[in-house]
Amino acid sequence: MLTVPQLKRAVADAIAYLRTVPDVQEAEVFMAANANLITRLAFTSHIPSNGVEEPKSNESFGVGLRVVFRDGGGIKQGFGSEPSDMTLAGVAQALDKARRGAVPDPEFVSLPRMGAKPRRSLIKYHDPALMKLDDAGLVDLGWRVVDGALEVFQSSEALLEWSRSPDTVKDLGLILTGDMMVIQERVAVGNTVEGAVIGDETALISSVATSMVERRNTKGTGWHVGGTLAGFGDGPGDDAARNAIRAADGVRIPEGEYRVVLGPQPVTDILNNLVLPGLSLGLFHAWASPFQGKLGKQIASRTLSMYDHGALRGLAASKGVTDEGLPTGRTDLIRHGRLVGLLANWYEHQRALHDPEGARKLGVDPNLYVAAIAPRNGFRFGMGGGRHFTQPPGIAATNVMVEGTEEVPTDELLRRVGDGIYIGRIWYTYPINGITQGDFTCTVIGDSYLIKDGRLGKPLQPNAVRLNDNTHRILNGIIGIGREKKPTVVWNADEIVHAPEIAIESVAINEVGDALMKGD
Amino acid sequence: MAEHVGIEVIERVRPAIARIAKGYAKRLAGLLHCDIRVEASEGVGVYAENGAPKSTQEERGLSFGVRVLAESGGAVAPGYFGRTLGTADVHRMSAIVREGVKHAHERARASAARKAATRGRFGRLADNLYDTRLAPVRAHVDTVPAIFEIDPRSLSLGAIAAEVGKISKAVAGFSATVRYNGIGASSVLIRNLYCSSEGANIDHTFAQSEAFVFVMANGETGPMELYDFSGHQRGWEVLQRGYDHASIQLPSLRDFALDLTKVTVETADAPPLPSSEGPVPVVTDPHYNTLLVHEIVGHPVELDRALKMEAGYAGRSWLLNDLGESQVGKRIASPLVNAVSDASIEGFGYFPYDHEGTKARRVWHIRDGVLEEFLTSRQTAAIAGVEANGGYVATDASMVPLVRMTNTFFVSGDTPPEELFKDIDHGYYVKGHRIPSISESRENFRISAKQVYEINHGEIGRLYRDGAVMSDSKDYFMRVDGVGNDFHLYPIPNCGKGQPMQAKRMSNGGPTMRSVARVVGP
Repeated sequence: MLTVPQLKRAVADAIAYLRTVPDVQEAEVFMAANANLITRLAFTSHIPSNGVEEPKSNESFGVGLRVVFRDGGGIKQGFGSEPSDMTLAGVAQALDKARRGAVPDPEFVSLPRMGAKPRRSLIKYHDPALMKLDDAGLVDLGWRVVDGALEVFQSSEALLEWSRSPDTVKDLGLILTGDMMVIQERVAVGNTVEGAVIGDETALISSVATSMVERRNTKGTGWHVGGTLAGFGDGPGDDAARNAIRAADGVRIPEGEYRVVLGPQPVTDILNNLVLPGLSLGLFHAWASPFQGKLGKQIASRTLSMYDHGALRGLAASKGVTDEGLPTGRTDLIRHGRLVGLLANWYEHQRALHDPEGARKLGVDPNLYVAAIAPRNGFRFGMGGGRHFTQPPGIAATNVMVEGTEEVPTDELLRRVGDGIYIGRIWYTYPINGITQGDFTCTVIGDSYLIKDGRLGKPLQPNAVRLNDNTHRILNGIIGIGREKKPTVVWNADEIVHAPEIAIESVAINEVGDALMKGD
Repeated sequence: MAEHVGIEVIERVRPAIARIAKGYAKRLAGLLHCDIRVEASEGVGVYAENGAPKSTQEERGLSFGVRVLAESGGAVAPGYFGRTLGTADVHRMSAIVREGVKHAHERARASAARKAATRGRFGRLADNLYDTRLAPVRAHVDTVPAIFEIDPRSLSLGAIAAEVGKISKAVAGFSATVRYNGIGASSVLIRNLYCSSEGANIDHTFAQSEAFVFVMANGETGPMELYDFSGHQRGWEVLQRGYDHASIQLPSLRDFALDLTKVTVETADAPPLPSSEGPVPVVTDPHYNTLLVHEIVGHPVELDRALKMEAGYAGRSWLLNDLGESQVGKRIASPLVNAVSDASIEGFGYFPYDHEGTKARRVWHIRDGVLEEFLTSRQTAAIAGVEANGGYVATDASMVPLVRMTNTFFVSGDTPPEELFKDIDHGYYVKGHRIPSISESRENFRISAKQVYEINHGEIGRLYRDGAVMSDSKDYFMRVDGVGNDFHLYPIPNCGKGQPMQAKRMSNGGPTMRSVARVVGP
């Protein structure tokens, strides 16, 4: 994998070359080397399986150019990329593609301005050990997760009691699936206007494990997201197995309105699928945010605050610099229930400031709220991880911090709910009538319990209920926010949410039939 | 300047890749199987917004992926490696691919040794950690060319940008209530090479032209956003002029975009659908059934999911508990319901061979209401003791293939669709799919529709917005009492599965059908 100094030298060479090209008015050069190393995990005690199913990796490096071309009296903008070649020949290939595809964009203002001395928010903040993971190390990390679950299965008195013999524990249908993933990213970015070049190196490790005891119809989850190899330990397989065994023999509930506590995974899933997309400045431009016209207005219970922070040392999604060469940092999104900021990249930031309809779209004149739409989130995430040279920057969150005005321990959240449901994991959470409406639906698939008299009671049977509600109602129905935060990722998400448990006044729930594998 | 890499690169590297798979790889210690996939693509893509081209891109890709099965310590395990390549790599391709094979082999050996150790440590608990094997298939040698009229490589970026920009302008001008529209279109040629240590050597090229339209309108009852896709494994002509052959009828991109705009605008004025108290008769059109068959038949018949390999993310299947207990041979739907996957027919999910060289064929999932066959890979087929039927596909050569749908659809019935409305006293006509939410084993669903019309005394009545059908899957299928003869196949461009997520293209479809279910509004 190329080093950051190598990438920076190549960017500097590219800038020097691009400055000599007659029709290039300005250009941004982004070079990146990425790898994601993954083991997919699949252990089934009752069906032949590999345990570590796919030890694999995907690697790439290359250059991406955003170029403003002189075109008669006007300008055109184009993007081009070239894999596997950081030399001037590769830059020329990318430039050629950018030129052939250039179009005039009347909403374009300028390429990002990094300043003559660009600033990096964080320096030497990643774990070098994660960048050196070899083939045997990758495989080992996956097996650690599998072995962690097997240790719990083997020593579980509950499993022994249910199976009545150590020899038949496997017949209970024990499952451990999920993944272990290491993402390695090195980037350098600069532009022809200012000439400066800035580099960045990031790595993170994550694992989400799901365990089941099929014969007892139970499911449990464990996960880890971090920035260091040492912090991974033996991974989350043991947590997943313990949680599955703990939640066995769940009960069903009738449909109705329930007070609930949402655990970190449901909080993250709802934010990822329903809330954060609507806090992207690009969606406001398209009139497609559920929070359209509400900047500065109340959109949630007063206890809720939320911000994105890409420059917190020690957090796994932190970056030293955006993929536009701009400093990462804190963007307040919701403060005491009021919408106070949006996620933005340079292009959307500039476009909003010049949009004649900007004030109607946001609800306030964007030129009076410039800091609220600062371009701190221009990233080129893709292919399941990595900062990719093959695409221009989009908008993505980093570390999303969720806070309460008054944060309380779990016991207090349960007390506030009294009688209701603790929901630990939801699935397929989609804005069923389009994101603008806020309507959503999902099913509860594990890690969930009834709450009785302010305490956790019997487990809720997985796949027994479907939530049918509305994002606005959830955000405005918060009656308590937990003190403890857990870094959490959900499938195909870019951001890591530092998610507390959140108690909600009322959630509409429908029953899912108990039809699975039931007779003819 | 060096020449851009084109799909012809596959011809250049084909002999060397075959030698690596059949020669170099087989000499590695403990190696039992190796396959190598190389993919090259070239074409163009454009995006227009609110009446003007926004960006265009020349799309060129080159990548490879390797799978190795190897033995170590008394166990067998798989290992994989993938990488994106560029023009600069072409002259050193053999060395790069050999290096990839070495990494995949080292991973397989390391995993096999750990598998053996885990088997020893946990005894009976872990004795289903098996020695990976693949179901046998014939090693085919074949070259399959693409079918197209307008070669994606011949397209002028400027010309198609102007064409798509004009369509976006027409959408913007359709109604004052249209607030935003975005249209993306692309046309590419993709060429896949598959070589294995068993001697398979398959070179398959196909064209792929597709478009995405997003329309946002503000109506009397609030904002309404709709999006939809069009596309086929043909050249740019599909988007320029449309396509009409067999069960595939695609309007031109212009008509497609304007049709969607009309639907968006009229639905934005409609009242929200009131939820029914209980199950009511529902007639679902072919476009809605496209998503229904996708979610409720296609996904649960993927054998990797059914074997719990996807339980962490994509979920399991309501059709299989374990190898000794499944719904195969049992009734899961009314006798009127038939569903198949068929990669061998024309469609967005067409291929002659899957990504491990298995020849495509029709796979009957539901015949006369009875579950018959899952979609398999060679690995999952070997576990289940069945024949590999050609469902193992990746979205890029650098990615590891998964069991995926192909052209998966409800088979046509023989009832004229208008007959399905006639004896309904009160019910709903559910038209066009929108957004799905499915329970973990696909045993329950809520799938929203673009439009829902009331049916009164056999006549189509009032239009509603934001409506969905919600039901347990088996209940819904068992209550199907009418299947139309108006079969359509539609492209699905974004089926997500795997880690990292692979968004695969396929076709789904069916005829108009009638069942009984609860309809739900906001």
